[in-house]
Amino acid sequence: MLAKTTNLKMLKLRHVLNKSRSLRRHISALYITGDKANENYVTLQPYLDFAGTFRDQPALEQSIQSRGLNINLETLLRKFQLYQTHHEQLQRLDQERDALTKQLKSLTKSGAAATELEALKERGKALRNDVKTLKQKLYPIEDDFIHDFLHLPNALHADCPVGQQEQLIYRRTLPNAEKEASSHLECTEMVQFMDNNRYYMMKQAAHFDIQAMQALAAYFVNQGDFVQTSNPDFVRCVLLEANATPMDHYQLVCEEQLQNKLNTAYLTGGAAFESYLGAMTKLCVYPSVLPLRYVCCGRSYNRAEAELNGPTPSLYTATQTNAVQSFVATLKPEEADEELQLILHLATDFYKALDVPFRIVYAPAHSLTPAESLRASIEVYAPSLQRYVCVGRISNYSDFVSKRILFSARRDKHYDFLHLVGGPVLYTTRLIAALIEHNVPLDKCKLLGLPQAPQSSQSQLAQDIQEFKDLFK
Amino acid sequence: MKLLINTRQLLRHPIIRSMTTTTQHKSHDVACEPPALTSVQLDELERNVQMRHHKNNVPLIRELLKVVQDSGQTNTEASRQLAEQLQQLPNATHPRLLSYDNQPLELANYEHRELPKQGAKEFSELARALNLYRMDHLGNYTGHKSYYLTGQLAMLEQAIIQYALQILTNHGFKLISVPDILPKEIIESCGMRTEGERTQVYKLQTGECLSGTSEMALAGFYANKVLEEEQLPLKLAAVSRCYRAETSGLHEEKGIYRVHQFTKVEMFAITTSEESEAMLEQFKETELTMFKQLGLNFRLLDMPPCELGAPAYQKYDIEAWMPGRQMWGEISSCSNCTDYQAKRLGIQYKRASDGRVLSTHTINGTAAAIPRLLIALLESYQHMAASHAEAMEIPIPDALVSFMHGQRAIKKNKRIPETKLVKFIKAA
Repeated sequence: MLAKTTNLKMLKLRHVLNKSRSLRRHISALYITGDKANENYVTLQPYLDFAGTFRDQPALEQSIQSRGLNINLETLLRKFQLYQTHHEQLQRLDQERDALTKQLKSLTKSGAAATELEALKERGKALRNDVKTLKQKLYPIEDDFIHDFLHLPNALHADCPVGQQEQLIYRRTLPNAEKEASSHLECTEMVQFMDNNRYYMMKQAAHFDIQAMQALAAYFVNQGDFVQTSNPDFVRCVLLEANATPMDHYQLVCEEQLQNKLNTAYLTGGAAFESYLGAMTKLCVYPSVLPLRYVCCGRSYNRAEAELNGPTPSLYTATQTNAVQSFVATLKPEEADEELQLILHLATDFYKALDVPFRIVYAPAHSLTPAESLRASIEVYAPSLQRYVCVGRISNYSDFVSKRILFSARRDKHYDFLHLVGGPVLYTTRLIAALIEHNVPLDKCKLLGLPQAPQSSQSQLAQDIQEFKDLFK
Repeated sequence: MKLLINTRQLLRHPIIRSMTTTTQHKSHDVACEPPALTSVQLDELERNVQMRHHKNNVPLIRELLKVVQDSGQTNTEASRQLAEQLQQLPNATHPRLLSYDNQPLELANYEHRELPKQGAKEFSELARALNLYRMDHLGNYTGHKSYYLTGQLAMLEQAIIQYALQILTNHGFKLISVPDILPKEIIESCGMRTEGERTQVYKLQTGECLSGTSEMALAGFYANKVLEEEQLPLKLAAVSRCYRAETSGLHEEKGIYRVHQFTKVEMFAITTSEESEAMLEQFKETELTMFKQLGLNFRLLDMPPCELGAPAYQKYDIEAWMPGRQMWGEISSCSNCTDYQAKRLGIQYKRASDGRVLSTHTINGTAAAIPRLLIALLESYQHMAASHAEAMEIPIPDALVSFMHGQRAIKKNKRIPETKLVKFIKAA
């Protein structure tokens, strides 16, 4: 018991350390001030919604507190004021310059006296120098404020638990916690585990690894009207920052010819939420295509929960897994809520058919990334760990991420930033580990979404014939 | 035929022994140990290197050998360098290929459909018109030459995987899930350089590498293992993501023809030295079956020495005719690496007759490399009559229909928004 408590404390400490580490970055690929734009190519200019962010300060303060973030809102607001004052001053100077240029033009046309024109030109030069000086002064202020601003978290969803505990929203089959279970690692004929980066699965485990992924994606396509995609495996730093993904969740790829030193590549896998953002960056859609529902099969190389599922390395802590990733964009927040429920509903069908003890919980605020407003975690019971492990997690990002990547819908002359919902609905590796420990034969599992097996189509035929015969009774 | 034979024993040096190759027709028995390495044999090594257009490091090997022999094996730095240079030598070459004069030999040509002589559209044009693919404006976000497949094209990727796995399982291959992140030693032992400017291997910050093909992970799995002869041949299959740092600016390789990341279904076998040649023929037959059923027009090539790379002793390529590009494009290949990889990785077996531990042979082949197959299928199955995208329909090969949930044609996707990008949105 003591060991468990110490472990928990260690985890929390590490969590805080990780958070402060990710907050310490001062150079950002997401926001590059003018003085640095010469060396660093600006790839994206996020929409900075100061008014919207500071509108409900108590809610923002609560979000910061509940997430356990080390951000002082008062200090930030002071920085904002300083930034605004300078910015307004700069705007005034710019306006004055514009007016002067116009005046100069019209006077030149009307043939005004040379001395008058000369005086105006001198004034123009002075103004230009003032602008230059002010800009130089503004850069560090802008740097300081904007980077802090970008570290502000999303507002919390009303359903997100603010205490330490998760909130149970669904549970299927209670696990037998008393029973001693052996680890899946002992099943060496199906699993050969070297380290968190390297493992092999054989026999039914290898088949399940691919079939389960393909089946669930097909189930989303056929039952949930999702469009299937296949995505790139590398995501550049600018998108991870836009999604406020802690950088240590993924591994950095070293590139020989890196054009933009700030915008490095990370190995996320195609079935990562961040991988979808590449196709959505700067994208402007017509409202008629909404809600946009995407699903994909692919790899995921996320290291986020390795520590949580340890300390013993196993398939529960492995970096690589096959995964099914969902991604939905909606116009309105209430539609985003409905879409999250739809994804959970489809996922629940799938896990129910597997007949494995699982539950769905809303994760507490302190475990969310700054971009998430709500996270539903799909967890199966892992007998060897005697607790639930996450095999999928669907998050609501509201319009936080789309503002940063400029993903919008155009209505008349107005841009609406889209509400995003999504996340992995299946990590095959962890599910396989749990199923092995539950002694479930992997080749006998019912996988929703798989094309109908020949025998079932036979029985369908028999049923059809019977119905035909019944017509004549 | 005696090329490179038993140089490891000639050199009588423990490090060197594990590096050089033997052909499959020569026994590894100590009883047959030949006399000390002569300059004639070094000449043979050099001729092989030159014939294969490989970097010629034999002069350096000669120098290092001299230093090692003169110092009585006490010069450890020279021994290390010698081992490094020997590791870079290519495999021996099948004698059949010596007369090929650097040109592949066409062994067969299969025509399953009548393809347009001109006017056929190239893959990216077709896929973009059908709204099933995106590759533009992604460099800053997901990297150079990255791509998204959408709708039916993404489904087709999974369908091809299922189709290939069904054929491989029926042919007795055992499926294994493999890692994509590997220690660099495994990759180098498979015959790929991980250092240098033109390396094709991606490295992670941790120093580990991204696998370019699952053959590396499969070979690595059996590294330093001694198998029983009864376990052989081992026929394995894997589906993996392949990462390649190579780039190409060639016009004919535009689009997804040569990309940094793709999915591949791979075949791999471990055999005794006597069985490897027959196994390569089996691999070739499996590949032919697969592409015949897909109804592609393709040709089978026996590759000349200069096209073998470092590890292969012999290699077959399959090239499909891609009417949109008006060119033959490689869609598959299979190679017999004899004991080149096995020696570097220490994959061995215990011979049943006398219990001697010998190096195995390894064979690898592509069952399905997704991007190239998508190109070949779409370009080959396009209807020339359709003048605009709305009317365009590309039939799905019969062999894939059951894996496409009964869908028989690829049509324009109207649900995926077209790529309309904004530069900047001004705050209100």
